Amino acid sequence: MSLRILSAELLKIRRKFIWFLIFLGPIGVVGLQAVNFGLRYDYLVGKVYRDDLWGGLIENVTILMVPTLFIGLAILASMVAGIEHQTNSWKQTLALPVTRTQVFTGKFLLNLLLLLVSTTLVAAGTIVLGIVLGFGTGIPYGVLLKACYYPFLAIVPFIALQNWLSVTFQNQAFPLTVGIAGMVVSMFSIRFGDWFPWKWPYLINAAKEPLYSVACGLAFGLVVLAAGLAHFVRKDVK
Amino acid sequence: MNEWILETNGLSKQLGGRAVVNQLNLQVKQGDIYGFLGPNGAGKTTTIRMLLGLAKPSVGSIRIFGKDLRKERLSILRKVGSLVEYPSYYGHLNAIDNLETVRRLLDVPRSRISEVLEIVRLTKDAKRAVKGYSLGMKQRLGIATALLGQPDLLILDEPTNGLDPAGIQEIRELIKSMPREHGVTILISSHLLAEIEQMATRVGIITKGQMIFQDSIEALRRQAKPTIRISVSRPEEAWRMLLAKGLPVDWDQTRLTVGEVSDRTVASIVAALVQQDHDVYRVEEERVSLEDIFLEITGGEGSL
Ligand SMILES: Nc1ncnc2c1ncn2[C@@H]1O[C@H](COP(=O)(O)OP(=O)(O)OP(=O)(O)O)[C@@H](O)[C@H]1O
Ligand SMILES: [Mg+2]
Repeated sequence: MSLRILSAELLKIRRKFIWFLIFLGPIGVVGLQAVNFGLRYDYLVGKVYRDDLWGGLIENVTILMVPTLFIGLAILASMVAGIEHQTNSWKQTLALPVTRTQVFTGKFLLNLLLLLVSTTLVAAGTIVLGIVLGFGTGIPYGVLLKACYYPFLAIVPFIALQNWLSVTFQNQAFPLTVGIAGMVVSMFSIRFGDWFPWKWPYLINAAKEPLYSVACGLAFGLVVLAAGLAHFVRKDVK
Repeated sequence: MNEWILETNGLSKQLGGRAVVNQLNLQVKQGDIYGFLGPNGAGKTTTIRMLLGLAKPSVGSIRIFGKDLRKERLSILRKVGSLVEYPSYYGHLNAIDNLETVRRLLDVPRSRISEVLEIVRLTKDAKRAVKGYSLGMKQRLGIATALLGQPDLLILDEPTNGLDPAGIQEIRELIKSMPREHGVTILISSHLLAEIEQMATRVGIITKGQMIFQDSIEALRRQAKPTIRISVSRPEEAWRMLLAKGLPVDWDQTRLTVGEVSDRTVASIVAALVQQDHDVYRVEEERVSLEDIFLEITGGEGSL
């Protein structure tokens, strides 16, 4: 059933600006790093990252990718929910023989899936950029995959939160404001303690163990998803 | 075995601190076209939302196909098609893709899509984005969506909302043919009696959240029996005289009326009046339309 819901959801976003956004984010992140490395080639490649060119590139990509994910997931959730809000299709969808849980998780999974596509594009784009910059083919795949997918996993609570807010409010101004504020807050999150969820996607913690951040994100993500579900299944539909 | 295909028991909904739907006992028989009538704000849409599980009743229960909606929502909804208030659609998709998004959840064969498009006569425009459709076409797409899962029960909330007379006529014909051709039971809401009196077999009239009439359309029509009004030069005197002769006339200080309208009675009354030298100005038949009855039952705050 969940697969059928997901396939219906994918059909709904066909020919929508959403797909453009999914590509735009990674292109932006990798493109900006291309400019960064292109303009400061001698300084960055010749000096700073001389001993670990790939490591340097990956680090720079991640620093840009996390705030982009924060803002991207908010816009995405808003657009995905907006498809139902626009002509109030909730009443049609929820009067079908599907459970509310399935519908809500369907939206969540769609968000997750699309962001996974974006994250993967960032990883692929980084490889292309590194090769173009002449960093050779000794690509540290492990480092690269962790640098891309760990933040994605640690940011799951925010995917769940924005999905919940966007589904709940017909007017997307509030969810989007929360999303933008979240991105700004995240950029100063280093100053907060390790308990601060906005810090997790940066994978920084006292124990210097990225997996702690990932574990916190996944666990708390489930909690937020469950809270959203509990609300959605009880709510009356307009 | 219960004869009702849809039945509510003491159904109530509290919204904003007042009972928007109050102790409703709705009863729809298999094969009915049930006209669910009431003025604006009577609580029709709120009731229908509860019937579809979109809103939870504050009190009361709903049984559809003999099953409790709270316990067997999915298996009930599998066989219910609905259109609530105005049609839902994804404007950027064409009609086929719109139906496909629903079909994937209903799990009916793909061929159903062209079948329902044929029924609502949208086949020609099926490949155009729905946002370019006229309101009538969107409404028809909504009905096509409702029909997609081959429902046994169709719940339509004001399906002719915003349509022109031709569109209304078209939807009416479509709905009328449904029980005949597909064995579907239909509950259709409206705030205009005239709009559904030609197709409904049963009517339920609701006002301020309460059911005030529920019976066959014939029973409602019977309340619409005509009367004869007579204007004469000296009505009060005429009334006394006619009563003395045992003729059934009423006098309400302004009008002389006859409830029983057989030709024989009217003839005797006129004859008696002429014999007693009354000037008879007019003898006219007054018909109460169903719409008048509707207005009367709903306390005058009906349609317009
Ligand atoms: N969320 C809400 N909070 C408070 N009151 C509400 C709410 N939703 C509806 N109502 C009220 O409930 C009443 C019934 O509304 P409903 O939409 O069911 O009427 P209706 O019979 O469908 O009317 P119409 O013919 O205009 O469609 C109205 O008076 C409306 O103001
Ligand atoms: Mg209504």
